[in-house]
Amino acid sequence: MTSQQRVLDILVEAVDTLTDDFDLIEFLHRLSIRCVELLDVDAVGLMIVDQHGELQLIAASDEKTHLLEIFALQHAQGPCVRCYHSGQAQLNINLTSSAATAGFGPFASQARAAGFTTTHALPMKLRHQVVGAVNLFSTGLSRLSNSDVQIGQALADLATISVLQQRTIEQSHTEKAQLQSALSSRVVIEQAKGILSERQGLSLDETFDAMRAYARPRHLRLTELAQQVIDNTFEGDLSPTENPDRT
Amino acid sequence: MDMSATLARILRDLPDGSGPALLGGDPARCARLLGVDGIAVSLGTNGELTELVWSTPGRSTALDDLQCTLGEGPALDAYRHRALIAVPDLQQADPHRWPAFLPEAGKLGVRALFCFPLHLGAASLGVLTAQCANRATLEPAQTNDAFILAAAITAALIHDNGQRASFAQAEPHTSLHRAAVHQATGIVSVQADVPLAEAMALLRAHAYRTEKPLLTAAEEVVSQQLHFRDNRDGTATPPGNKD
Repeated sequence: MTSQQRVLDILVEAVDTLTDDFDLIEFLHRLSIRCVELLDVDAVGLMIVDQHGELQLIAASDEKTHLLEIFALQHAQGPCVRCYHSGQAQLNINLTSSAATAGFGPFASQARAAGFTTTHALPMKLRHQVVGAVNLFSTGLSRLSNSDVQIGQALADLATISVLQQRTIEQSHTEKAQLQSALSSRVVIEQAKGILSERQGLSLDETFDAMRAYARPRHLRLTELAQQVIDNTFEGDLSPTENPDRT
Repeated sequence: MDMSATLARILRDLPDGSGPALLGGDPARCARLLGVDGIAVSLGTNGELTELVWSTPGRSTALDDLQCTLGEGPALDAYRHRALIAVPDLQQADPHRWPAFLPEAGKLGVRALFCFPLHLGAASLGVLTAQCANRATLEPAQTNDAFILAAAITAALIHDNGQRASFAQAEPHTSLHRAAVHQATGIVSVQADVPLAEAMALLRAHAYRTEKPLLTAAEEVVSQQLHFRDNRDGTATPPGNKD
């Protein structure tokens, strides 16, 4: 009852912040189905952490009761919890092995009873912040290949993005700022190349070489040099004689 | 099943930082997955959608150049409003919505457009644009895959694959589609003795007036076919270089 209530809370919270034309829960549900097809597994669930630090199911590839119960059992223990706390993927866990499932509580026997023999959990994280885990189940004993793990992790990453899209505005701005700074730094360098080439009568390539030749021994970042050029505060000499061979 | 393999391959390749672009893999594969004729990923700087970082060649690239030159179009709206903009038939679109863009897009042979925002909460990073030469609607499964792609592209852009630093420092093995526009902006600012923002405006005005893509005008400045030394509208072109 309480855990169902929490799931509901998460859903309500998420739904409240959705844009009109994008339903996160529906999207994650369809993503889970796609994940089943892509990785050739039998069931997939996305678990995200709630405000009490417990994992809650936010979407699953199917809504069969027995599957939902297996996910519900994992709010405090299970491969997803281990994955969430360690930030590391938990792969190829044999549900029929008591050694492999030690510490998972009633989760393993429930999963076996539902016909599953292998499970995996992949972290949903953005840099160092783990927000949940993707839980995969197979009825066979097949192992995930390296390539499957890559694809699974890409799916987990994009699910993370989708969840975070609704949640952490502050972090979003940090992430955006970092990407933007890479872009603007590139733009500034290209503009400075243009300015200096026109002033010095050099080709753009020669200008770039000269900029690098100037910046390197002075431990100046190219972006800083470029910014000085643009701000008209650059007082150095980029004369072509410092540029030994022209190609 | 085939489409699943295609999507799997795309998801694996996107974060690969070994190529010249910020994103790895083949954009044409994304176009096939969505059943469209081409795709483009453009990112914003300073509130404008200015940097094309990944696209199929031809129409998608030209379409992005067009929106960048005109400063209007569905991709810009998707970027500014962080909303999906679907235009199944540009010929049926309200002509007042994008008055300069619509006729030019028609000339390019683009008929349908779907713009998916790349965003993190309130932060808008850019847009994934899919285009078709014929009127088109995306099936629910394709729309779903497009959302998956948009999220995967966002994740790959945010997850620094190591390429970002080389890209930011303009290292020679990395490429930026509109590098010439920024170089030309710098050149024009010296030639016309104006600040960079004004130099960009001069360049854009010239492109608009001569009905050239901004990138073409910029390349002419870089190759010294066009200059703004004597005249701020770039009319002092040396003889014999009228095209």
